[in-house]
Amino acid sequence: MSEGLFTQLLDLACGAFLLAAVVVLWRRELVAIVRLFALQGLALAAIALLLGLHEDRWDLIVVAAGIGALRAGLLPYLIRRALTALVADQEQGETRPYVRSEEVRETQPLVNVAASLLTAAALTLLAYAVARPLVELDPTPATRALPVGLAVVLIGFFVLVTRRRALAQVVGFLLLDNGITATAFLAASGVPLIVELGVSFDVLLAVLVLQLLTVRVREAFGTTYIDDLRELHD
Amino acid sequence: MSVIPAALATATGLGVAGAVAGLVLPQRGRGVVVGVVAAGVGVAGGTAGVAALGGSRWSAQVSGLLPLAGAYVEVDALSGLFMAVAGAVVAAVAVYGVGYVAGHGSHGAYGLGSRGAQAVLPLFALSLLLVPTAASVTTFLMLWEVMALTSLLLVLAEHRARPAVREAALWYAVMTHLGLVLLLVGFMVYAAQAGGETFTALRDGRAGMSPTVRGLVFVLTAMAFTSKAGLVPLHAWLPRAHPEAPSAVSALMSAAMVNLGIYGLLRVGFDLLGGGPAWWWLLVMAMGGLSAVYGILQAAMASDLKRLLAYSTSENMGLVVLGAGAAGLFAHAGNEELAGLALAAALLHVVNHSAFKALLFGAAGSVLRATGERNLDLLGGLRARMPVTAGLFAVGALGAVALPPGNGFISEWLLLQSMIHGLAVPGVTTASVLPLAVAVIALSAGLAAAVFVKALGVGFFARSRGAEAAAAKESPLLMRVGMGLLAALCAALALVPGLLGDGLERAVAAVGFSGTRPVSGGGLRVRLEEVSATLSPLWVVAALAVALGAVMATVQWAARRRQRRTQARLWDCGGGVPTPRMAYTATSFAEPLQRVFDDVLAPEQDVDVTPVRESAYLVERVRFRNRVPDRIEHRLYRPVLDVLAAAGQSARRLAGGSVHVYLGYGFFGLVTLLVVLVVGW
Repeated sequence: MSEGLFTQLLDLACGAFLLAAVVVLWRRELVAIVRLFALQGLALAAIALLLGLHEDRWDLIVVAAGIGALRAGLLPYLIRRALTALVADQEQGETRPYVRSEEVRETQPLVNVAASLLTAAALTLLAYAVARPLVELDPTPATRALPVGLAVVLIGFFVLVTRRRALAQVVGFLLLDNGITATAFLAASGVPLIVELGVSFDVLLAVLVLQLLTVRVREAFGTTYIDDLRELHD
Repeated sequence: MSVIPAALATATGLGVAGAVAGLVLPQRGRGVVVGVVAAGVGVAGGTAGVAALGGSRWSAQVSGLLPLAGAYVEVDALSGLFMAVAGAVVAAVAVYGVGYVAGHGSHGAYGLGSRGAQAVLPLFALSLLLVPTAASVTTFLMLWEVMALTSLLLVLAEHRARPAVREAALWYAVMTHLGLVLLLVGFMVYAAQAGGETFTALRDGRAGMSPTVRGLVFVLTAMAFTSKAGLVPLHAWLPRAHPEAPSAVSALMSAAMVNLGIYGLLRVGFDLLGGGPAWWWLLVMAMGGLSAVYGILQAAMASDLKRLLAYSTSENMGLVVLGAGAAGLFAHAGNEELAGLALAAALLHVVNHSAFKALLFGAAGSVLRATGERNLDLLGGLRARMPVTAGLFAVGALGAVALPPGNGFISEWLLLQSMIHGLAVPGVTTASVLPLAVAVIALSAGLAAAVFVKALGVGFFARSRGAEAAAAKESPLLMRVGMGLLAALCAALALVPGLLGDGLERAVAAVGFSGTRPVSGGGLRVRLEEVSATLSPLWVVAALAVALGAVMATVQWAARRRQRRTQARLWDCGGGVPTPRMAYTATSFAEPLQRVFDDVLAPEQDVDVTPVRESAYLVERVRFRNRVPDRIEHRLYRPVLDVLAAAGQSARRLAGGSVHVYLGYGFFGLVTLLVVLVVGW
């Protein structure tokens, strides 16, 4: 692969990666958000694959395959299953049918969509500004794309702070984690395999637990608005 | 000399073995094995101390023991004195402890006899012996903390029996760690300025430090050490923790652990910092004097026997610190002879206090074990039921009242002599401070007499005022043996203090003063430039014995002369037969003193009269309540605690319960940090 092609493909993958995170802020349907998250997982896998091909490292290619399977396949599947469980549960109960449409949409984020998009722009700017000294250390195509990873970390955190639905928050958490992984790839061509494995299992476990928790919260309180969980302090 | 390392190694090995034995052995036999091992720790450590007092020194460095810094140990005569005292107390109390925990379902068995407490006890004993050997900041703080933690666990031993134990332990934990923080900060500043953390480096580095930094280091460490010694104003843990701990632990804490506060003060103030300006020592003397008077006043008001003894510890440590402060003042004025005399008096008082206070706490534990009661108002009449305990308590009380022939008298006499002759040092400060110090010592000695007359008279004489006291049984043999050892120590210190002469001289020399050998042979001799005073305790005792014998003989003779004795009922003014409840109680005995010191103590009295419903003039019930709160604690601690509580309450508003708010803190914190980074660089 020529240097120019590699740079263009890498920039494309990074662009897709960032765009997916921004669009998560724009969409309200949880199904669409999950789909976007899967797309982002693909972009992340592509970044890892490109780096692996460029540096002729087989272990990175294997990691890329693993990341693709986990973040574009397994995790979105788990979240979608939780979503289906919520809806199905609703249809069985039929006590409050109007909730059904509510439960699968992020209807009232704490910050509205327009402001969220503007904030995402500001956060991306901040990420670029912060990463400048890092990029200057060793200006390769990969490190130039480093701010994208940081921007996704910040946007993921922002989703976590402003979204009310438990599942939207799970996605926010996963965006954050995707951002961290991307930063690791772009800055240092990935962390050792064992660490990557550990992190992946960690994320998987977290999602499994959160999935269960969401369904339980829904059963206990009739909603997955986590703002209703206000009693959880001393 | 290889005595010291061998003895210390033996003590360490035994301490660890005792901890393991306490953990693994079953209830039967646990107390005996742990007690024997702990006594071995005491004997071994005490041997090392005596060897050091005899003039041998030892230092070593174990680089691998503590990470980064390595462990440094050094034993000189000053360490030796405190080790010898701790060793003797540990050995005697360990023997006492075996008896204390013996017997299923006895008072001692469930608390101190438990697996955890028995495992911690040898470690606590070991830490008491090892703290004075530390010769670097890390080693010292490490051992200091081990001592604090093990003592905390032992204070908690009876937490299932009384909720008050938990509260006391909480106070103790907070205050001892506050002290540790002060100590840590002080030593960190010192080590950073001196450029090294071994005591040698600290000694070498003091010359290059500014007076302000040295003052800061001294104030910080002195606050921490005086808190451990139970001095006002950081004394609040002491009257709580000592009464609530099992009595053997109280004895160890009060007779060995608080001493180490004094040791730290002397080591840092005189040895490491090499003395200092007058204001250091005036501050120390003020704290000591205040503690002496305040402690003994509170002891006079206390009707809880162990609380009374705890406050008396505060008083005695106050006297010791008063002497140490005077030594610093004299050294600053350039009069090393007087400084040596004052310091020797202070050290001798440490030794004497340890002997009689361990004995007194032992006897109090004996009473507590037999009756389950610490309240003097409900005791009484124990002399007949527990003659040995009563006799041993009397020996201890004699030591504590600072009158001949008690052992406390000797050191207080020396202390007074050093203060009185200290007027030879020119200057307005000494001329105004020393008479005050003399007055403080005299006042506290007088009050101590009242306190221990109360404790002995109300607690052991007259008739029993409670059912438990009336049914008391004498304690097991080993408890009596342990107390007997301490009583023998008290008697030896009272009759032949000269045995300590050389050791005391070397301990004083270890901090850099030339002593005057105030204690030698069979007597006390104060030899200064212009004056000399001598006192021979043996002669005093002999004279007292003769006088007492004469009085007794006269009384006997007079009693025999009046042959006719008629038995009749006491005239009771028509009020009915007097009951034991009408006798003097501890509260009523202390009432005149409470009146005299009304303004200082600010007692709270509460009279509640309930009239009969039909007539306001006929009284159905009168309830009287009298409480003497710790005023310093009330005035000083309450505002601080209130401010902290208010801050905590207002900080709760930050935690509203919304997950988004919590996440938001992190998010905005991160973004703000990044913005600052971008803008700043």
